[in-house]
Amino acid sequence: MNEPNQELRMLAPDGFRKAISRRAIFQTGTAAAGLAILAACGNEKKSTDNTVGGDCDPLSPPAIADGTPSSGFSNVVNQSSGTLSMYTWGDYNDPELIGALAEADLGVSMKVDYYPSNEDLITKLSAANGNSGFDIVVPTGPYIPQMVQKGLLEKFDLTKLPNIVNVDPAYLGRDWDPCNEYSVCKDWGSTGWIYNAAEVGREINNWSDFIDVCQNEASGNCSVLDTSANVTGMYFFANGINWNTEETADLDACEAFLVDEFASHIKAFDSYPSTKLAEGAYIVSMAWNGDARQAFVRIADAGGNPDDWKWGLGAPATELWMDNYCIATGAPNSDAAHAWINWLLTPEISIRDLNYHGYNSGMQNISDLLAEFIPDLERGDMIFFGDEQVATMQTQEVNTSQDRLVDILNKVKAKAGG
Amino acid sequence: MGLAIPSIVWYVLFFIVPIGYIVAYSFGRKDSSLLLPVDMSNLSLDSYREVFDETFFTVFKATIKIAIYATLLCLLIGFPVAYFLAFKVKDRWRGILLALVIVPSFTSFLIRTLAWRIPLAPEGTLSDWLQDWGLRDSPIGLLETRGAVQLALVYNYLGFMILPMFVALDRIQAGLREASKDLGADRISTFTGVTLPLAGPGTAAGVLLTFIPMCGDYVTATVLGGAKGNMIGAMIASQFSAAQNWPRGSAMAVLMILAVLLVLAAAALVLFGAKLLLRLVRPAIDNVRRAKNQRWMAEARMYIQKPPVQATTSHTGDKIAMSVWSVIVLAFLFIPIMLVVLHSFNGGGSFSIWSGRLTTEWWFGKGSPGGGLDSPVGLFFGDSVFTNAIRFAAIVLAGWGLPRVLRVFRVPVSATVTRWAGSIAFVVAFVVVGLNTEWYASFFRQLGIGDALRNSFLAAFGATIIAVVIGGLAGVALARRPGWWAKVFLAVVFLILVTPEIMDAIALAGWMQKLGGPFTTDVGPVGFGLIRLWVGQSLYSSAVVTLIVRARLAGLDESLEEAAADLGAPPRRAFRQITLPLISSALVAGALLSFTLCLDNTIISALISGADSTFPVALLGATRSTIKPFWGVGAVVLFMVTLASLWFVFQVLKRSGDSSSQIAATLAGG
Repeated sequence: MNEPNQELRMLAPDGFRKAISRRAIFQTGTAAAGLAILAACGNEKKSTDNTVGGDCDPLSPPAIADGTPSSGFSNVVNQSSGTLSMYTWGDYNDPELIGALAEADLGVSMKVDYYPSNEDLITKLSAANGNSGFDIVVPTGPYIPQMVQKGLLEKFDLTKLPNIVNVDPAYLGRDWDPCNEYSVCKDWGSTGWIYNAAEVGREINNWSDFIDVCQNEASGNCSVLDTSANVTGMYFFANGINWNTEETADLDACEAFLVDEFASHIKAFDSYPSTKLAEGAYIVSMAWNGDARQAFVRIADAGGNPDDWKWGLGAPATELWMDNYCIATGAPNSDAAHAWINWLLTPEISIRDLNYHGYNSGMQNISDLLAEFIPDLERGDMIFFGDEQVATMQTQEVNTSQDRLVDILNKVKAKAGG
Repeated sequence: MGLAIPSIVWYVLFFIVPIGYIVAYSFGRKDSSLLLPVDMSNLSLDSYREVFDETFFTVFKATIKIAIYATLLCLLIGFPVAYFLAFKVKDRWRGILLALVIVPSFTSFLIRTLAWRIPLAPEGTLSDWLQDWGLRDSPIGLLETRGAVQLALVYNYLGFMILPMFVALDRIQAGLREASKDLGADRISTFTGVTLPLAGPGTAAGVLLTFIPMCGDYVTATVLGGAKGNMIGAMIASQFSAAQNWPRGSAMAVLMILAVLLVLAAAALVLFGAKLLLRLVRPAIDNVRRAKNQRWMAEARMYIQKPPVQATTSHTGDKIAMSVWSVIVLAFLFIPIMLVVLHSFNGGGSFSIWSGRLTTEWWFGKGSPGGGLDSPVGLFFGDSVFTNAIRFAAIVLAGWGLPRVLRVFRVPVSATVTRWAGSIAFVVAFVVVGLNTEWYASFFRQLGIGDALRNSFLAAFGATIIAVVIGGLAGVALARRPGWWAKVFLAVVFLILVTPEIMDAIALAGWMQKLGGPFTTDVGPVGFGLIRLWVGQSLYSSAVVTLIVRARLAGLDESLEEAAADLGAPPRRAFRQITLPLISSALVAGALLSFTLCLDNTIISALISGADSTFPVALLGATRSTIKPFWGVGAVVLFMVTLASLWFVFQVLKRSGDSSSQIAATLAGG
């Protein structure tokens, strides 16, 4: 293994280096639990080679008034009507917020379908020539330029999203959509592992340990996420290689290792292992932090002992992904889509949703909001990461190696089933 | 042929041309920057070369192997049941037993598959139970393995093996078997010489109906298989969605069809060879057997004074063994469905994990004394799903039985009390056991589930209308005006029935995107998603209706229609007043069957639907993360609808004079 820290400082994308240096400006870090949020990279960071974006004014943060923390936020709730259909990741919103409460607060009745990967989303939208009948879709950031280029996304009417100012500037104006014309942060999270410490019998401290445990103690009893970026990422992170590498040699080495040495140990490619962990299907799983957090609840539900299980954030490096609310081209009910997204950006609703899915929803001053709305939040350390942790996180880029990565996952899957 | 024209146009437009495109795409190159990600400017064989790459090829081999095993297992498990139903059961029981085979086979495929997660879970109740009782040392390790896929495949397709075999056996005239016995053949010779050859066609139909869809199965592997249970169907689907590599997916689909045909050809060859061998060896065997029989006859003559040894005892033994086997198989068919019903009363946050969280704590809560499963007390008072079931059944049985027992002891109990005791006990059991009914109460408030069910019904309804109209007309044309075209047309209908659904699905998805028009834009108030589903679901069901109508008319001679024509009725009127009434029962049966099939359609619907997804599609989406308990309630609702429509099919066919056997024949696809 290379010396991780030195390597990482060089590998971290520009945004994060700025983030680290500007940390002090936005840091709140006052919560008793020692929660800290990712500091800002700000919206001065603009890319010129994207198909999206252009010049735009930074959104001004709201003035914090006296009283409860949330009263200083923009709390506009627009009424709408009709049916709103969303295409999103599995189990990704508090059921009330896409059910009864949306009906009561906004007058909108919702229906939701689920996709398992960004590629599936793009295929589905493409199949209707970009006129799928869905209103809201939730792609991961780096896929947005591709979707814009294919004409699958519609521009926001930002006047209908006044609450966008509640979002921490750190999560606005990202590379993929510098002016937030098409997208606004839903939440962000990271990747790590959850494992039954009693059965594995040793600690998993980094990706090398994870790989090693999967090849030995948990051989045939482990699951990995069902995305090409995560399966290959595990190898790159463990070996100190840039996750977004476009070097053929790196990709070849990755393929050789995963296909020949790793694939046969995998029990399943599972992006949502929480329920299956409770069923006892795996003893080690690569997981996103929110799903891993739900696993503890499910394990208790199934009569298991949650204390046997441990969560670990990917190390020495891991990913930072951000999912975004977007409006699909030809959305039948664009007005309701704006109203609902805007509603989700009010502090109370945002925090409520966060409590369900377990991912940081990116509100400003989030620790104050938590103290106000859910002071007894459980396992907050799985939702919020310290500065040192955030500093190790890398954001995926969709680049020339994309097809190759998908191909590698395909081969790993074929080999694992052989 | 005129009447078949709508069908012909439909099948050319939505079956032959799209499949042709798939073949064409397999020579193209992937270009994910295009909306339809295939670049056709440079044709090459690269995709085929990739598929023949060792890694992909292993999945091919594994799939074929798993499908062959499952087909053989279905055959071995199913044949005794079909034989038992055909020959050993009294007529009045046959209908009920047949219904018990049919109902699970027409229950939602996806739900049936999903249900296996419950008993197979290593940390689940069954696993705990087996360990507590010392029957296993370690948890059940089948989940997410090829074993689970194998098991579920056998389970999912067993009914489709039993039905056609039963139909074939049932059609053997009793006289033939008797004649064989009268001519001195013993039971074994009758079985091998008469029964088995005559059962051949039905068995072949069963093999086709199970093996081919198994090869293309995508749901079972996705839901239960994990990495090890990966099958071609799932791999093809992922090429079209996650990998966006249509050329490779197309090449895989083409190769899958070829592989399936190859295996079938090999099987036919083996059978043919066996027949040939049998014909060569037969005289020798017969000589031996004849000699044996003669010796036996001679012995019998010697002991002519004594009563002959009764050979029927072994018959009864066979019968008992067969009935026990049949009961086991029926239980196997129903247990997962019962578990789904039970789990729809689950508290907690997920469908497959029994939380033991009940609405009342009258019978000790979680972790209370007697909660263990290792004692009879624990068995009744515990908090697992099985103890709840036992408790529930015990209360209902006690309530139902008490008045009857009292009567035996001559305690006066009024007839009213006896009549209602069972129902009252049922309600009492509900309250006492404290099954969680919150999901039922809140069912229609649950997210999108009402929409999904509504979409399912709308889609199935429209597709059924199309299927009945074009299938009915084609059926009449086939039965009444067979000509040179009929053979070709029947071949296409057969192809539609046997093409793995995943192939139709990907072909239609690409084709509809290409066609545009009503497939990508709404037509007035009708969403294009619904139009897609109507077209997609109508293919298979119209083929079924065609065969049913054809079979019905083929059984009736044409004299009535000729008489009408002789009396000067124009063809249109003769059709309306004579032919239509003749086939009405077949149309109703076909319609309801088609409705049931469409409600259950998962694979085609999943790949072509837009925002208006149906219940199985929405459920398939939900299986990718945590399945909430209210999906169990939806499954129960759907189960009831299926049950009701099957019951109607029964009634309609029965009124038109069919026996239960003929009804089974209809359901097995004519």
